[in-house]
Amino acid sequence: MKQAWRHLWRSRRRSILTLLAVFIPVLILVLDIGMLNGEQQGLFKNTVNFETGHLQIRSATETTAGGALPLMKDPAAALAALDSVPGIAWRTARLDLPAMISRGGRSQGILLQGVLPEEVGRVSPIGRLVSEGAYLTTGGNGVVIGGELRDLLSASVGDEVVLLGAHPDTGIGAASAPVVGVFTAPEPSMGRTLVQVDLGLAQTLARRPGAVTSIVAFVEGVTGPRDAEKVGAVVAELRARLPKDYRVLDYNELAPELVTFQNVVKPIHILFMGIFFILGGLVVLNTLFLAVVERTHELGVILAVGASRRRVMRMVMMEALLISLVGAGVGAAAAFGLVVWAQAVGGVRLPAAYDEVVRVMGMEPIMQLRVSALELALSGLAMVGVALLAAWIPARRAASLEPVEAMRHVN
Amino acid sequence: MSTKAILRTEKLVKTYVTGTVETPALRGVTFELHRGEFTAIAGPSGSGKSTLLHLLGGLDRPTSGEIYLDGTALSTMPRNALSRLRLEKIGFVFQAYNLIPVLTVLENAAFILDLQGVARTERIERGRRVLAELGIEKYADQFPNRISGGEQQRVAVARAVVSEPAIVIADEPTANLDTAMSVELIDLMRRLNSERSATFLFATHDGRLLDRVNRLVTLVDGRIAADEIRNSL
Repeated sequence: MKQAWRHLWRSRRRSILTLLAVFIPVLILVLDIGMLNGEQQGLFKNTVNFETGHLQIRSATETTAGGALPLMKDPAAALAALDSVPGIAWRTARLDLPAMISRGGRSQGILLQGVLPEEVGRVSPIGRLVSEGAYLTTGGNGVVIGGELRDLLSASVGDEVVLLGAHPDTGIGAASAPVVGVFTAPEPSMGRTLVQVDLGLAQTLARRPGAVTSIVAFVEGVTGPRDAEKVGAVVAELRARLPKDYRVLDYNELAPELVTFQNVVKPIHILFMGIFFILGGLVVLNTLFLAVVERTHELGVILAVGASRRRVMRMVMMEALLISLVGAGVGAAAAFGLVVWAQAVGGVRLPAAYDEVVRVMGMEPIMQLRVSALELALSGLAMVGVALLAAWIPARRAASLEPVEAMRHVN
Repeated sequence: MSTKAILRTEKLVKTYVTGTVETPALRGVTFELHRGEFTAIAGPSGSGKSTLLHLLGGLDRPTSGEIYLDGTALSTMPRNALSRLRLEKIGFVFQAYNLIPVLTVLENAAFILDLQGVARTERIERGRRVLAELGIEKYADQFPNRISGGEQQRVAVARAVVSEPAIVIADEPTANLDTAMSVELIDLMRRLNSERSATFLFATHDGRLLDRVNRLVTLVDGRIAADEIRNSL
């Protein structure tokens, strides 16, 4: 190992090049993983907080015409089941109703969410996103709409809007209510179509007091998509306890776009990183190959005095191992430093030009980086593996030299 | 001096082929080398000296004929076994020293022991001992490029003899040295020959070295033209 280490110092420029060939892919991979995790985390957070929760209990009846969720027969039983299962951090009842909102001659199809403001406020970010007016109050008659819908309806806080709720099980209900707050949605489509009202008002529109379409629950200790197992365990427990009249769905089932995102984005990232790793591997191969060519005479002597071919191969591989360990270690450490820095400053603000694009995707224009110790270690080890794979070719060449011919070699 | 043959060749032929052109280098060399001999192979350029040394050292294979080292036939030996045999039975000294530049003098001297898997402490101890024997212990921690050519060649000799091989093969060991250094090196090898009974086989043009050997084999056109025993030493 000492010999390999000294060889690296002997051709410093080449060693630095090899080091960079390992360092850069590891740095980029860790940052890429960090961004991917950040994106996933952001998407997860938005999805579970705005829409799905970690899990929902719904009626097992098929979704009714128009996409309306079936009304639950006995929400109290579902709530009781949830309260009996350990690990539930919080739960609330919700009534999701396809509806129409109109003001003057303008109208828009919406998803009306009837919520319990004092409960939902603990997790729903809509209360915090209200930029005009105020959030809902329990038993209040107000409506909270998104900024896009406000513009569409030309409505302001205090203006009356007409709500028309339609559910196949109960018919059509109508009510007039004032806009009490306007929120800034993380994505434009949500700002156009999501409207929140107090559960009581939604039940009035559904023409059924006490009607609920979902019990939304959050599981303790779940902070991101990596905690899917915890959610899965609670879901399995609930499925075992609840009668067949109920369906228990986790956030992946409720928002398949989360899985779709992973399925679409991950292969792109893998392809992208694969190219970087291959390029890194080619540089390692090239520099080590040159090193072997330059040392042909010396390797010939080593073989001549009796070194086994395996030993010569090991010498070259050892050099590759050392330099790739250093490069990967430094790359991973540098990337980790950047991730920690990005977390400390609350994320990296993307240029303003990207604002609309990321908002369409339901994300904030702030790039969050998240990376685990395992991902950090695996990124480094993956590049070490690629470097060793690349080094195998020059190592094999070194081992296959014929001593007499190699000793004739002059640089 | 023992009369037992440590190295024996039978009708050794080596022909180099380049395309359709065949160049004979050795045309049937048969001879024996005995334990403890200090033998030189001399001859004009192109006579086949280096080729013969390469074959005897197990670095190349004959076109026909056979070589026996300590009774073991080399020509059909698998490559790995041949490496092992070189490691255990043959010490090499090359014209251009051929030390490993990233190893210190001590590490170079003990390199063969390292390849043989000898424990580090023992390697250091034996390496230092041989360096002391050759008068270069003070350079133990230097790198080869910091010492003179003569000293480098002594290190090469140290490397060749440290494991006490059956035979030391030296290809023009004094060719790159000035007279004083050559004489010193020859004396040194002669001393190792007499004190350790180390068997030396040289290829050389160097008259100073030829004067000190106890056997001189002269090659001409790939054949042994003369085999002269010089017992006066």
